[in-house]
Amino acid sequence: MEIAEALRADAARLLAEGRAKLVIGYQARGPHRAPAFISDPAKVNVLVYDNLCKQNLAVYLRKPEVRLKGPVAIVATPAVMRSLMVLAAESQLTEATVLAVGKDAYHGVLDLAGAAALLKEKYADLAPEPELLEALAKLNALSPEARARFWTGQFAKCTRCYACRAACPGCYCQRCIVEKNVPQWVSAAAAQHGNYAWHVIRAFHQAGRCTLCGACEAACPQGIPLMLLNLALSEEVAKRFGEKPGYDPAAKPVVGSWKPDDDQGFIR
Amino acid sequence: MKVLDANKLSDLAAALAAAGYRVVAPVRDGREIRVQEWKPGAAIDTSAVPVNSIKEFLFPRCEVIARYRLEGDDFSPEPVATDAPKTAALAVRPCDAAAMVILDKVFNPGTAGVPWPDGWEYKDDAWNARREATTIVPVVCTAADQDCFCTSVGGAPDATAGADAVLRSADGGRKFILQPLGPKGQALVAAAGAVLAEGDAKADPPAQVPVRFDAKAVTEWCGGNFESPLWREVSLACIGCGACAYCCPTCHCFDIQDEATRTESVRLRNWDTCGLSLFTLHSSGHNPRPDQASRWRQRVMHKFSYFVEKFGSLACTGCGRCARLCPGGMAIAQVCKEIDEARKAAVK
Amino acid sequence: MAHTESKTTEPATGFQPRIVAYVCNWCTYAGADLAGTSRLRYPPNVRIIKLPCTGRIDPLFILKAFEGGADAVLVSGCHPGDCHYTSGNYHARRRWALFRRLLEVTGIDERRLYFSWVSAAEGRKFADLIADVTEKVRAAGPFEPANPARRQPWK
Repeated sequence: MEIAEALRADAARLLAEGRAKLVIGYQARGPHRAPAFISDPAKVNVLVYDNLCKQNLAVYLRKPEVRLKGPVAIVATPAVMRSLMVLAAESQLTEATVLAVGKDAYHGVLDLAGAAALLKEKYADLAPEPELLEALAKLNALSPEARARFWTGQFAKCTRCYACRAACPGCYCQRCIVEKNVPQWVSAAAAQHGNYAWHVIRAFHQAGRCTLCGACEAACPQGIPLMLLNLALSEEVAKRFGEKPGYDPAAKPVVGSWKPDDDQGFIR
Repeated sequence: MKVLDANKLSDLAAALAAAGYRVVAPVRDGREIRVQEWKPGAAIDTSAVPVNSIKEFLFPRCEVIARYRLEGDDFSPEPVATDAPKTAALAVRPCDAAAMVILDKVFNPGTAGVPWPDGWEYKDDAWNARREATTIVPVVCTAADQDCFCTSVGGAPDATAGADAVLRSADGGRKFILQPLGPKGQALVAAAGAVLAEGDAKADPPAQVPVRFDAKAVTEWCGGNFESPLWREVSLACIGCGACAYCCPTCHCFDIQDEATRTESVRLRNWDTCGLSLFTLHSSGHNPRPDQASRWRQRVMHKFSYFVEKFGSLACTGCGRCARLCPGGMAIAQVCKEIDEARKAAVK
Repeated sequence: MAHTESKTTEPATGFQPRIVAYVCNWCTYAGADLAGTSRLRYPPNVRIIKLPCTGRIDPLFILKAFEGGADAVLVSGCHPGDCHYTSGNYHARRRWALFRRLLEVTGIDERRLYFSWVSAAEGRKFADLIADVTEKVRAAGPFEPANPARRQPWK
């Protein structure tokens, strides 16, 4: 509980001093954790922090109703801070005030540069969960036909609610490719090839940008294992281009840039 | 009364399948419980509310409503047969059954005894064919979680609205009583045959679901507070996806899309959600619901105000799926509670 | 002038693969033209779609081809350093490396997706490439009807 107390104290202070007009953090809603939006220093007691606080709050930074409130301070886990780095690198953020929390530590109030330094110093080796690595290894070991059958079953569950898209801080297009109908590139129906195309395109648009925060899979109401796609791509990005997104707020985009000696062994 | 052992639900499903029913039931699938077509060997799990409802078996996620072929200059429509197999929705939730009665008001007006003042005549053949062919058998809830709120919206864990038969847990959870509630239910009981024994059992008490807010007060408040700043405050956490609308057993908005190749075209009816910004986007670029606050207002008002005005009932059965599944931690019951409190504060 | 022949087509029996080739206008398309004007034969199983540059090739194009039931997709453009638009093929190279992996993990593997650099002077390379790809796809068989990328009949 110490972390929560420290968070509340700093949140109240930031609001009272006018350094933030809104603090975004987590609150308890029964057994769930929900985002808290606090403008009044007297209300900071709703803030909590525990291992149920998994939602990536960085999504709220681009919400117009939130931006209208004024300068924002955000309770940020390493996953959230990494998302902020990607957003900064893509010119979606120029500055941020972060109440930085780690696994069992509170690192205080930081700005964007401070958060970047903290990530490099203490959270440079964030690795995916062993269960996820094992699940991908199992998937890789299947034949292509078996993999295709696996995904047919998984994508059949998809209702195209786009919770995965909405929960991802990296998905911020005003008009998503699935919402374009001149021409209709991706079938809007929650079936077959449309579901396949949606999930492949969504994962691909995160290539080199995904920090493996898990918000998409956690958001999916149908339990589709989206992290398998993200991890496969993330490993390929690391292997081929040596990049790990979410640490450098001035990083060049992975898919948007190139090196003359990029591997082309697969090209005849 | 007709009785079966609590661990024999799969046998009941098997008997119904053998009698020609397509059985849909809540089945454990990894971490989720999902209502899906039951296959032999699948374990029916009634321990929690499933992630989806029976809505998709009566109102599919996408459905062909017209079909055309193009051969040379010849453009010809082709007949579309509605897929309406005889179905038993087994061990589903009472809130799901009640939701189908609400959807009847939209897709089959005039059946629920509510006169539609503007001459709404359209009967949805696809819905009605499936509704006719489906026997709904909810299981009375003996447990509820913090997101359930059926009792706040005129429902109850043992309500029988929309049910053709009902399963009641009995003798401390060791048995089920299967009680038919009409001709479809009686036909199902007959089809179950020897799986059901004639016997006595004492029904277990239904779950206690505390009332969380005053729905009438919410309806009243909505009527006069379209422009209230409260809408913006209660909807800040909404990230604008369709998880709530699609898992909701009463949400029924849809989009019509044509998909074509060079030789054939289908017209599809797809689920749609007012939560997405695209929902009300005009081709001019204007959007009358330009922010999530106005879209949340629409969600609440459709269920608690407009539907009451037009159809005489709330369009929410308190199943709580939206609250369990919302990635942004929103809950319509929580929003209604805040509205109720705001109203009380204003009245003082 | 000697009549040069590249590999000929198989007789028209058995499985005929349908291969969609997205090629760039300045190099590979010109190379295909050269194969034609040089009277080099190559199997007719390929459908060539011309784009200004491989940098223009959106992964959605590849998905569309598989959606329609193509048995394989070939993407081909200018050699690195020769792009008519200077760096389009460098961008494409990164994109393909990653997209290829994504398709592989979802069940479309390297028997169905090919990439090459073919210059405007490489008519023979183009002809040989098509012949080789066609044989490989013929050996792989038709694209599985149940693959999730394919358009299924609407029920």
